[in-house]
Amino acid sequence: MSIIPLMKQTEDIASTQSMTETSIIVDNVNKVFGGTGGVHVLDNVSARVADCEFVSLLGPSGCGKSTLLRIIAGLESCDSGSVEVLGRNVVEPGEEVGIVFQTHNLLPWRNVEGNLALSIEKTLDAGEVRELVQKMIGTLGLQGFEKSFPHELSGGMRQRVAIGQALVRNPRILLMDEPFGALDALTRDRLNLELLRIWQAERKTVVLVTHSVVEAVVLSDRVLVMSDRPSRVIEAVDIDLPRPRDPQSIREAPEFGECVVNLNRIMGL
Amino acid sequence: MTNIFGYLTSSLSRIPYRTIRDAGLFFLLLAVIWEAAVRIFKIKSYLLPTPTEIIKEMFQSSPLLWQHSLVTLNEVLLGFVAAMVFGLLIALAVFFIPLFRRTLYPLVIAMQGVPKVALAPLIIVWFGYGVSSKVIMAFLFAFFPVVISTLGGLATTPAHLIEHFRALKMSAWDTFWKLRVPSALPNFIDGCKVAMPLAVIGAVVGEFVGSSDGLGNLILLASGSSRTALMFATLFAITFLSLLLYLIVELCGSFVWWRAR
Repeated sequence: MSIIPLMKQTEDIASTQSMTETSIIVDNVNKVFGGTGGVHVLDNVSARVADCEFVSLLGPSGCGKSTLLRIIAGLESCDSGSVEVLGRNVVEPGEEVGIVFQTHNLLPWRNVEGNLALSIEKTLDAGEVRELVQKMIGTLGLQGFEKSFPHELSGGMRQRVAIGQALVRNPRILLMDEPFGALDALTRDRLNLELLRIWQAERKTVVLVTHSVVEAVVLSDRVLVMSDRPSRVIEAVDIDLPRPRDPQSIREAPEFGECVVNLNRIMGL
Repeated sequence: MTNIFGYLTSSLSRIPYRTIRDAGLFFLLLAVIWEAAVRIFKIKSYLLPTPTEIIKEMFQSSPLLWQHSLVTLNEVLLGFVAAMVFGLLIALAVFFIPLFRRTLYPLVIAMQGVPKVALAPLIIVWFGYGVSSKVIMAFLFAFFPVVISTLGGLATTPAHLIEHFRALKMSAWDTFWKLRVPSALPNFIDGCKVAMPLAVIGAVVGEFVGSSDGLGNLILLASGSSRTALMFATLFAITFLSLLLYLIVELCGSFVWWRAR
């Protein structure tokens, strides 16, 4: 397993990963909340994410990993530095990016179908919308809940719908901000498995913010470990575990334990 | 109209049987105590009539009560609908147009402080003894809760949903219709529920101050001729009217079952 300090070595990382194309470039991003003298959240953060790569941002809570994700998503601006997604400078949310937040963002007055259709009903005609929604319901394993409203669903199912909302537009990049943080361990594992399946089937670039070391190891190709505020990427850790992975059985692999121990050490635990 | 009554009975049937039974028995008990007290203490009828006298009066004067009820109902409905429409429009204007937020909103708040009962004589002077002055009184009473609740609803559209719409690249128009409107709707309905009984009060106050018909006027007439039983009968008519209208609003509101969080 290779541990490569990330800063100013992004080219090396790209070569070790034998990447064909880079889809996200974060270059020396700084972010201070509350103007001068405010909270310095991101300190010269640089990172690269390859096409179809699964990268996790791991760090203590409040370290600014969510902020970094929001900057990549175009929901927040950075004070200096730049973010490029698919070759375009990010200034606002883009078409090619789907976002899943920790709290599901379902509309309480729309049922599962309605929520899934929300982002595509304007651009596509009714037949196409129905077809895509139907397909998404199949992908998410939500058959039988098409007409259910969010308050009638379990937390895990709501989060599935939220993921579907992001995926239904078929974005090339999926950004996830602790999407399973509010779920119980069992549901979390199950959704991890499904996320892996979807990712393998649809080949998307995924950036996942998490504070769970295990989740990061189970899912990622690479884990970027971030420090406390002002946050930097301390290390980029490759997770060379075989794929396809199963969240349950993979934990028994000796390499899995090594990765977890190693990441914990880096995080200073 | 029969349709509405059908809906009403069906919505009433959702209230647990025990609640209806206990409430009915309690009201009956109060009526019995009232009846007994008046008879035992020999209270004179022009001071406090017995429930039986009031019920008798209601039957005897039913054409009169019906006729005046329709007048008041008409005033209340017009005032209430005006309050709903203008309350909604002003809330939207204040929320979305900064200039109105700085000008119209303080005016609305200042007007809220004016005791509207004290405005009645002025409204009568301006709009006369007819229907229009009562409609305006009903409007003035009902208007504020609609504005304030709707504004509250618009302002408390969950920030995470607004951001979600931004992330989904929804247009401003879509954000308005698909997010702000449905999320403010429950608050608007709440405002209407508060506004409905207030509209009734407004209309009756208007009738008190100057009118030739309506239930408020009937109370004045009954009082002038010392027909206390008729006064009570009219009072009950106003209460029934108010309750009925409230139930209709409640029923319409039940189609908006969600709360945006």
